[in-house]
Parts: sequence; C-alpha cells; structure tokens
Amino acid sequence: MKKVLSMLLVMVMVAALFAGCGSSEPAKTETTETETSTETATETETTETATETTEEASDEEVEVNIFQFKVEIVDALENAIEQYKAVAPNVTVNLQTVGGGDDYGAALRAQVQSGNEPTIFNVGGPQDVEDWMSKLAPLNDAPWADLVLDGVASGVTVDGNIYGLPYNIEGYGLAYNKAIFEAAGVDASSITTFDALENALATIQTKIDAGDLADQFPLLEAAVSYAAKETWVTGLHSSNMVFANEFSSSIETFNAPSIEFKNAEGFKAYLDLMAMYSAHADNTEGMIGVDYATQVDEGIAIERVAVIQQGNWIYGGVKNVDEVVAENLGFLPLPLKGVQEDSIAVGVPMYWSINKDTDEAQQKAAMDFLNWLYTSDAGKQIVVNEMFFIPPLKGYDDVQPADPLAKDILAYANAGKTMPWVFMGYPTDWGMGVLGDGIQKYYAGVSTWDDVLEEVKASWAESRK
Amino acid sequence: MKRSKLWYWLFVGPALFAFTLVVIIPMFRGVYFSFAEWDGISNDVTLVGLDNYLRMFTDEQFFASARFTALFAIVAVISINFFGFTLAMLVTRGIKGSNVQRSIFYMPNLIGGLILGFVWQFIFIRVFGEFGDMFGLEFLKNWLTNTQTGFLGLIILMTWQMAGYMMIIYIAAIQGIPESLFEAAKIDGANAWERMRHIMLPLMMPAFSIGLFLTISNSFKLYDQNLALTNGGPYSSTEMLALNIVATAFTNNELGYAQAKAVVFFLVVGAITLTQMRITKKKEVEM
Repeated sequence: MKKVLSMLLVMVMVAALFAGCGSSEPAKTETTETETSTETATETETTETATETTEEASDEEVEVNIFQFKVEIVDALENAIEQYKAVAPNVTVNLQTVGGGDDYGAALRAQVQSGNEPTIFNVGGPQDVEDWMSKLAPLNDAPWADLVLDGVASGVTVDGNIYGLPYNIEGYGLAYNKAIFEAAGVDASSITTFDALENALATIQTKIDAGDLADQFPLLEAAVSYAAKETWVTGLHSSNMVFANEFSSSIETFNAPSIEFKNAEGFKAYLDLMAMYSAHADNTEGMIGVDYATQVDEGIAIERVAVIQQGNWIYGGVKNVDEVVAENLGFLPLPLKGVQEDSIAVGVPMYWSINKDTDEAQQKAAMDFLNWLYTSDAGKQIVVNEMFFIPPLKGYDDVQPADPLAKDILAYANAGKTMPWVFMGYPTDWGMGVLGDGIQKYYAGVSTWDDVLEEVKASWAESRK
Repeated sequence: MKRSKLWYWLFVGPALFAFTLVVIIPMFRGVYFSFAEWDGISNDVTLVGLDNYLRMFTDEQFFASARFTALFAIVAVISINFFGFTLAMLVTRGIKGSNVQRSIFYMPNLIGGLILGFVWQFIFIRVFGEFGDMFGLEFLKNWLTNTQTGFLGLIILMTWQMAGYMMIIYIAAIQGIPESLFEAAKIDGANAWERMRHIMLPLMMPAFSIGLFLTISNSFKLYDQNLALTNGGPYSSTEMLALNIVATAFTNNELGYAQAKAVVFFLVVGAITLTQMRITKKKEVEM
C-alpha cells in the first residue's frame, strides 16, 4: 500500500504542477462529460432506488469535490460516481485521492490553504475532529445516522453531534496462509495464546529450514514477515494492543496526559517474536528494510512467508497476485503476552465528513451522494462487493462480505474477541514518528529497549502539556 | 532615453509583478508567521514573539538534521564537482562518440528527483541485495536500513544526477579557452598537469563559481530525492533540513515553528552561498 501511496503522491505532485497553470479547465471538461454520459446511463437499475434524491435535487448544476485517502477503492468509487450520474444528472462528483495517514493530512491542509476546499473530506479520529472542528458539518439529520453500528462512530461524536460517516469496519491481526499451516501440520484454530503461536511459528520455521515444505512452496523462506519500515505497522497497529489494554477507547487515549506503558514486556516479546521467525532473524537491522510491498505483494501473496501482521485491506492486493492464496487467508489473533492473547484489533480507519464552508447546495448534494452510496441497493453492492468493505451500518443483511478475511473479522467480532483501535487517540505523530522510530532503533541495535521506553513516555507527556 | 525606460519597464514589469506575487510577498508573510503559533487550519494566529526561534536551540532532531545536511552538502559538493569535471575532461578529449557520451551523462538530470529516488531505492535494496546474496558480499545487503548506507545512497544518487549537469557547464568553459594558449604553453615546455593547473583551471574559474553555487544551494535544499529515497528513515536519521521543515509544518501541524526554521535555513544557506560567490569571484581572472 505504502508504495502505491508514494507513487500516488508523486502523481498528485506532478498534477499539482499542471493545476497551477489552468485550475479552471478540468471542471469544465468534467461537466461536459456528465452531460454526454447521462443519456446512456439512465437504463441502469440505480434509478429506482434513488428517485427521491432526483426529485429533491433542483436542476441547477452542482459540483461535489471529494478529497479522500483510500487508494484501494479508487476504481470502485469511480464506478459509483459513474452510476450516480444517472441518479442525479445535475451533480458532478470530482474525485481526488491522496493516500496514507500522514500524506493525506498534509495534502488536505495544503488543499484547504490553497483555497480549493473539498466538499467531502476525511477525518480519522478525535485529534482530527478537534483540528477540523471549524469546518465540520454535523450530520445528525442524515438517514444513516441512526443506522451506525454501536460504538463505531464514537471517535467522531462530540456533544451528541455526529460529524462523520464511518468508511467501513476494518480489522487486523496476524494474517496467515491456511495452506502452509496445513502442510506444516499446524492446527491454526488452537492458536489462541502467545505460546501456542510461538510453537506454531517454530514448527513452521524448522520445517522450512529442513526443506520439508520446499516442494509445495518453493519460495517459502520464513514463517513471518514484519514491516518495521512502515512505522504505521509498528508504531500504530502493533502498539495498539498495548494501549487498548491501558485505555478503553480512543477518546480516553486522546485525553490521557501520560502513559504507563505497563505492558511493555509483552510488547517486547511480540516484537522479538516477529524478528526471530523472519528472514532477518540473525540480523534484525534488516527488519527496517521491510516495507508493505515486501510484506504483502512479495511476501504472503507469493507464499514467501506464512504469516504477516496486516488487516483485511490486503485482500484485494493479494487477489491480484494469486487468487488461490487470497482465498486461503485467515486471521490469527494478535497476542499481547500475559494480557490479551486471543483477539484481533477492529476499528474504523477514517470517516467521511462534509465541509460546512462550502455552498449549501454543494453540502446537500454531498450528503445525498454519501447517503446514496451507503444506503441505496446499488450503493451497497459497490460498498461490499467492489470496495470489499465490512459495512459500518445496519441494514446490510442481504449483502454480506464474501472474502475470507472479512468473514474472519466478523467471526472474531461475534465471539467478542476484539480490541478497539485506540491509536487514533495518540498524540500527533507520536505513534509513527516517535514510537515507530524507537522500534526501528531497537531493531537496529542503536537503542536499548529501556531507552526507547523512556523516550516515548517522555515524548507523550511532552505533547500533552 | 524616455523611450528606453518605457521598454525597460515593459520587459521587467510582468516578471517583477509575478516575482513579487509568488516570492516576495509569501516570503514576508512567512517571516510574519515565524513569530506566531498556527496550526494551519484555524484562523487564530497567535503572535508568540521569539518563542519559535528560541525553541530551535532545544530541538535535537533539528540539530541532527542540520548536521546531516551539512555533512551531506560537503561530501556531495566535492563528489558532484569532481565527477562533473572529470566527465567534462573525458568528453573534450576528442574521443570517438563523445557527443553521444555527453547526452548520456546529461540524461539523469532530465529525470525528476522523486522518480529517481524510487528507481535508486529499487537498485539499492533489490539489486544490491541480490548481488550481495549471489557473491556473499555482506556490505551490499540491507542498504538504506542504517544511517551510513542511507547517507551513501543519497550521495550516489545526487552525484549520478547532478554530475552531468555540471559537466555541461564545465564543457562550455573548457571549449571557451583558445587552443592557442595550450599550444603556446606546450611549446614553452609545460606538461599536461601544468597546462591544466596554470591555464585551464584559472580560466575556468567563472564556471566553478556557478558550479559551486548550484551544487551548494541544491545540496542544502535537497528535498525530492531525500523524500523518495529514504523519507528520513531509518529512525529519522537521514532527515535533511527541508524534509524536517515540511514534517514540522504538515505532520506536527506547527506551521509557525516550521516557518521559523525555514527563515533560519534561508539565512544560513544565503550566507554560505554568498560567501562562496565572493571567494570564487575574487579568483576569477581575465584573459
């Protein structure tokens, strides 16, 4: 993902160069496009579900500008926009995507400062809501507001007002390849503790080293791949299990003036485990070179490794490489030794928000579009089957996600074996910039674990002053 | 006289207007923001006096970035100019195909910094790694995962990109020297080294002024290549000043503090390049 993100960032930057020369041009061409395509698109089934919106909407041309972060859904979203032209012919939806937590926030600020404010943009949690409060329109009246699943919108609810529509529900844990586990004779369902996981990884690694699995999986070289280069994997996602057991929610995390880091030992055990059964076991500095692509596209997707710490968002990417492997994926729990060993982390990555500094008509059209996307039948199809989302709303009984990772998340959720995402409540840049760097220093051997702990605790307290 | 003044403003006016609009005004605005605290979103900009400037003295990451940038600039300036000059010497020897070689050496400069960064990232990590595995050479493995290889990577990348550009400047200078001077020196018994040392180099001084100016300012201001190749990693140890300033502004949302850093950065780079220009200008000789 990160690689794609970087490439996207490159493209956006290049595009920005040209945008300077003729920013009024693209809007014009897009409108003409809408006019020509509406004639052909009227026959699609979407019309019946959204007649309401068409009636309400006036004939006036309205432009809705979406500035969003999720690179993986760009095609699906473009398809949705295409279909929406039939529903509301007078609305032109422009889509712009800049990926990644960090990159997106910076790009959004730049966008707003340039005076080119988007109608729909994304916020990620309490910190974003506080930062952007002056621009967020309350969405209590939206038809989906009552349908949001319990607790899913707590991060964007302030004083009873809801300021964002959750994208989807995502979960991450240790994604594993069922075929490799089977071939190695490891029963994945029994892995509900840290020790069981360690035993399983040891068994697999021993068999790899002995060459027992080489016939079936010629590329298999290590049990685990862990992307320490991606500080969001280490500093945000992994560390989440520590703080999900120190605080109850992202709001509580956000309000915490300092941290105890009381489960630091369990966290260290996890980091050591990830290193010990990786391809960089004898030189952990090499862990810092492992990025998302190495972990996913050149890792689990080609059966070079059996287990990675990632979420259900990898499904589409793995499927593009090897459909069989994608169907063989499942989740093992993310174990925090001695504390919580049988759960995966489940949460909402981002929320759709509407900019109240744009025109009334634009806001209305934006609201209608989001509503159509998440509650109409055609929209639901796109959300579930094209974006591969786990829906964050009620009323999706007839359209359920089909991919194995999403199914596993639902299974964990139904069994109550989940922990919330609290990393959204970390101080700005603490997770990636401070803790993520600290973990890299630990792997590189330039800092001891205790020094890292000292530093990250001090930094947290400093940012909360 | 009156007429020429009109022409003068007719030509200078539009450019001056644009320059004022996109450089001068933002710069003064920037200086203003450097005395303020601002998160980049809200409209309340609180003036905090010199706080932002004083804070820099206790900012370890800022100093680490400054040190890294300075070290990079010194090594990069030497290496870029050395290779640029060497290449210029090579392709002015009248060897067959030297025109083709000129184009090839110049070509890296036509590729954007970000793309180069990603291309070299691939080379350093994948290609070097493969060769390391193949021949059992440990030092080729795990590039860009520590500060040393990150530094070396940046130097190699920048030299590869900028040397061709410097080469063009030096070629022009070398070709500007009349052949008769060399012939006269040859007759007087000067050997190749003496001809270079006492005729060529002094007469090339204007080119060195430009070359040094461009490489020094470019090395200090390096951003794209740094972002694409290492993005400051591992553990922010290869984060150069420009990247540090952008991170302060857009990741930590402290636009005022970032502006203060940028102002200091501007003054330092300005002082260094102006000093260099003064020194090298003095050494320029008339033919």
